[in-house]
Amino acid sequence: MTTEDALIKLAESTGAAIAQVLEIVSSATIERSPVMIIPSGQSPLSTIPVPAVAADVSYMNGATGGNVFVMTRLGVRRLAAAMMGMDAMEIADSEELSELDQSAAAEAMNQMMAAAAGATSAVLGEEVDITPPETRFFATPNEAADAYELTPHVTTVGFTLLGEPCRLVQLVPNAFVVRMKEAFDELDAQAAADNRSRAEIGERISSDSVRAVPVRVWAELGRTQMPVGRAVGLATGAVIELDKAPDDPVDLFVNGRLFGTGRLLLVDDEWAVRIESVLPGAGADDTSDVTPEGGPN
Amino acid sequence: MARVLIVDDAAFMRKMLSDVLAKAGHEVVGEGANGAEAVAQYQSLRPDIMTLDITMPEKDGLTALREILSMEPAAKVVMCSALGQESKVLEAIKAGAKDFVVKPFQPDRVLDAIGKALA
Repeated sequence: MTTEDALIKLAESTGAAIAQVLEIVSSATIERSPVMIIPSGQSPLSTIPVPAVAADVSYMNGATGGNVFVMTRLGVRRLAAAMMGMDAMEIADSEELSELDQSAAAEAMNQMMAAAAGATSAVLGEEVDITPPETRFFATPNEAADAYELTPHVTTVGFTLLGEPCRLVQLVPNAFVVRMKEAFDELDAQAAADNRSRAEIGERISSDSVRAVPVRVWAELGRTQMPVGRAVGLATGAVIELDKAPDDPVDLFVNGRLFGTGRLLLVDDEWAVRIESVLPGAGADDTSDVTPEGGPN
Repeated sequence: MARVLIVDDAAFMRKMLSDVLAKAGHEVVGEGANGAEAVAQYQSLRPDIMTLDITMPEKDGLTALREILSMEPAAKVVMCSALGQESKVLEAIKAGAKDFVVKPFQPDRVLDAIGKALA
């Protein structure tokens, strides 16, 4: 993976996480523009519409670097109004931002940055924590251009929020790019391995008549063992402890064979499972696996 | 209906939580803006329940949670944070928080968490 690809992927996932939070807090549709990589030495903020409000968040651990989110003053007023349940588009610009406006914007930015940190954690496979956001006001683009120390890599994503432009700026140091590339390469290698094993299985299941055979698929929350004497004595209200913690993935079985693991989620108010991992060689010829069909084993 | 202490570094969030709780008939007895205030306010006000943010200046919410529970093991604390990573949620629940509400939230989710923690 190239540096450019890593930067774009990072900015994409961060931008998506931020847009999601913005849509929830503003109850409005957010438009998002493609990621732009800023040439080195150029300030990502020299062209912002002013007056503007910016919140910056740095990572406390796990990842060096920071995110800056910039909104116009009118954008801040409208976002605050939307968060308080008012009609945001009725709000006009004003010289003054009330304390509540500022606080609402800071809170929204805090939530966005937390979502961004969550997206980054997911990509890196390790936790990143954030500092509370710091808010600044910019009356001129020059003030903004000089406000943050530039890192070797800088990206921006533009959004339109309640009719006003806003912008995410990611300040990415070199060390971070190296770690991102490693993390992405690992993910790619994993995906390639998964695809290979699936392709091999696909070759074996080639004829249409075989493909049409129905199989039973189920998700298992947990299991346990007990003496039959206790099992037959189970009464209504008895509690049976299972071997899984609440944060463990569920096991997925195809016709009794362990196939992979997944996470439970709700789709249209019904349980569903998002596959988290597929066992290498799942569905292949090994018969060593568990068969829970006959009850707890 | 309960006496509630609200701790969050954002004044807006305190106001929003305060409105939601007051509308549901709870009494907001105090507010704090960081972890240190959370501990001090808890000691002096002895609320029935408190909401606690995590990312805050001076002292973070998880540190405050542990201090409060070491003083008062029966304290009822509902975390209310934008940091929804699984490890944060688990850390808070293991430390003794009654529930964990991830921001942005729907008002009902907060009331539900408070109701269950009080039950």
